[in-house]
Amino acid sequence: MIETVKLSKTYKGKKAVDEIDIYLDEGESVGLLGPNGAGKSTTISIISSLLKPTSGDVKLDGKSTIKNPAEIRKVLGVVPQEIALYEELSAYENLKFFGEIYKVKKNVLEQRIQDVLDMVGLTERQKELVKTFSGGMKRRVNIAAALLHNPKILILDEPTVGIDPQSRNHILETVRKLNEENGTTILYTSHYMEEVEQLCKRVYIMDHGKVVASGSKAELLSILSSEDTIQVNLSETSDGLIEKIQSIEHIRRVDETSEGIRIISKKGTNILGDLVRAAESEGIQLTNYQMETPSLEDVFLHLTGRTLRD
Amino acid sequence: MRSFLRKDLLVFWRDRKEVLISLLAPILLIVVLNFAFSDLFGEDAETLDIDLGIVMEDDESLGLEQFTETVSEMDLSEVEKGAMIEQASTISPSGLMTSFFSDPELSGWITTKQISEQDAKEQVANGELDAFVKIPEGFTNDVLRKIMLDQSAETALVLQIEEQSTESDTIHSIISNYLDTLNFQFALQGVTDGELIEHILPEGGREVVDGAESFGISQYFTVAMSFLFALFIASTVAMKTTTEKRERVFNRIILTNTNPISFLMGKTISTFCFAWLQLMIVFSVCHLLLDVFEGKSMAFWIGVIVIITFFSLAVAGLSAVFTTFTLNLNNTDAANGAFNLVIMLLAAVGGNLFPIHGLPEWLQKIGEWTPNGLSLSVFMQWTQFGDLQTLMIPMVKLFVFFIGCLLIGIFLFPRRGRA
Repeated sequence: MIETVKLSKTYKGKKAVDEIDIYLDEGESVGLLGPNGAGKSTTISIISSLLKPTSGDVKLDGKSTIKNPAEIRKVLGVVPQEIALYEELSAYENLKFFGEIYKVKKNVLEQRIQDVLDMVGLTERQKELVKTFSGGMKRRVNIAAALLHNPKILILDEPTVGIDPQSRNHILETVRKLNEENGTTILYTSHYMEEVEQLCKRVYIMDHGKVVASGSKAELLSILSSEDTIQVNLSETSDGLIEKIQSIEHIRRVDETSEGIRIISKKGTNILGDLVRAAESEGIQLTNYQMETPSLEDVFLHLTGRTLRD
Repeated sequence: MRSFLRKDLLVFWRDRKEVLISLLAPILLIVVLNFAFSDLFGEDAETLDIDLGIVMEDDESLGLEQFTETVSEMDLSEVEKGAMIEQASTISPSGLMTSFFSDPELSGWITTKQISEQDAKEQVANGELDAFVKIPEGFTNDVLRKIMLDQSAETALVLQIEEQSTESDTIHSIISNYLDTLNFQFALQGVTDGELIEHILPEGGREVVDGAESFGISQYFTVAMSFLFALFIASTVAMKTTTEKRERVFNRIILTNTNPISFLMGKTISTFCFAWLQLMIVFSVCHLLLDVFEGKSMAFWIGVIVIITFFSLAVAGLSAVFTTFTLNLNNTDAANGAFNLVIMLLAAVGGNLFPIHGLPEWLQKIGEWTPNGLSLSVFMQWTQFGDLQTLMIPMVKLFVFFIGCLLIGIFLFPRRGRA
């Protein structure tokens, strides 16, 4: 349905987006994961025709949208990271304004406004000014405004940043319903791995402007199929201990955690004896040893060397 | 476009702080300025009270005798000599000066007394007199020889003041006015081939325009300050675009495939509405509070509405340019600063910060190239003369300014959001 072809964007000699190839099939829900500065928002801006790429193309049903953005705009709903609303207007007035300029027919606009308000659970509060809303409520109106023209594709740029759990659940449920019940194609970006895991069938992982991995959750986890992740709790840690552990054969990576260390080692190797000896030599007590099931977070860490919220 | 207009009107109206500032600030300033400056400037010149000494060292009859002797010795026919002497006897340069100050229009606020030079100097020094004018010995003979025989004059009027003041400036201005008129009269006499004409004295220290009503300081403050604050509406509305840009509302608007010109027109028309309403409210309230345009006819008020309407259009045009610049510039703080600078510059040149109608004409001409200066000038003329003709051309100019600004705004408007 929509795809990017070697999409690049350079700002002042620095590549914000570097030859990205991503695609979304009709009705699919796709996640775009990456830490701040990975290039997610720039990618979204180019796909949604707000920004011109330095090179590459965006295609909608095989046709380039770069020269004629009007076509993609008709089928696209964009929920920006910012609250793109007029704070001095009520939720209803905002939706009416955006509905009118989306050229939703007059005879259906009123019903459409009530539908999207119902979808985001704000029917009762529609007459109140947006500036009086909580962050979560504002984000819900922000989503409603992008749904007025019934878009086929919905792009959400970190729609749950800084909101309460109730609003967050409401937003996630709304997105899920849009995808599963309305058949809306979703491109969802987030810091939060669990949101992407919950909503998306396929995930692109971005870092430093590049897609470093992509696929379904199972496909991504298979990246870690040659490794074990072990959480080791210690009475204390020291640089000396970490150095000793890193020198143990088959250990590929050691990271400090709040309770001790996390070790990534070659799959199927037994390193417990070596660990206990290293800890004893440093006078440190090993209090727990647990093999972990790898998550997308581990995949991300493995691929980028940093966590999503870095 | 109607959606944009309704949105912009609502957004501005809901910003109560901005609305209050737009309405209360000019009214408050106009009231304060009126109270603060009405005493200083005075609504008329009668508040001035000038004491002027006249030191008369000239003997008019002796001067006339000396002139007659000079003419008699000239190589002219008796008829010509007789005509010249008769003409000279009708001129009384020092008499004209003293009678000038006793004119009822001046004598109401200038008290003159004949005094010796020694006493005059002392009294000016101790403040009893504001100034003195010395008519020197031989003044009559010199003036007659200058104007009748075109011989060089050796004596001159002496004006002595102790320190610069409104009073001394006024006397200086009156004497200059007197001399200019005297020169003009004698020049006129030269053109009329020596025919006897009556010497008409100037009409005092104030410029009097036939058939005109005065444009007082309270009227000036009301119009100048109202127009100044209306200019700021252009900047205020344009800066609302900053919020729309910062919070990505503008991007959302682009994504609706709306013609961006609708966005610009919404800003332009809403600016016109705000400026028009602001001016109407400020004028009405100031008139009710200060009776600024006392006893004016309905025709006058219709003219005022016409001026306000066209000036509001000019402000709307300015807003279109400012809005486009706001969208094109990355540093919106710099944009805001630049807009305020432009407005203050327009205000200074156009005469909204201080009256420029007393300044040299070329400065006034420059001021009239600004929409506010032109509107202020035409408002003054409308108040003074009430002549419909005076409105026509300036209104066309303001409309052209509006169209020009709008075209610039449209031409420079960011294309389709493809930054």
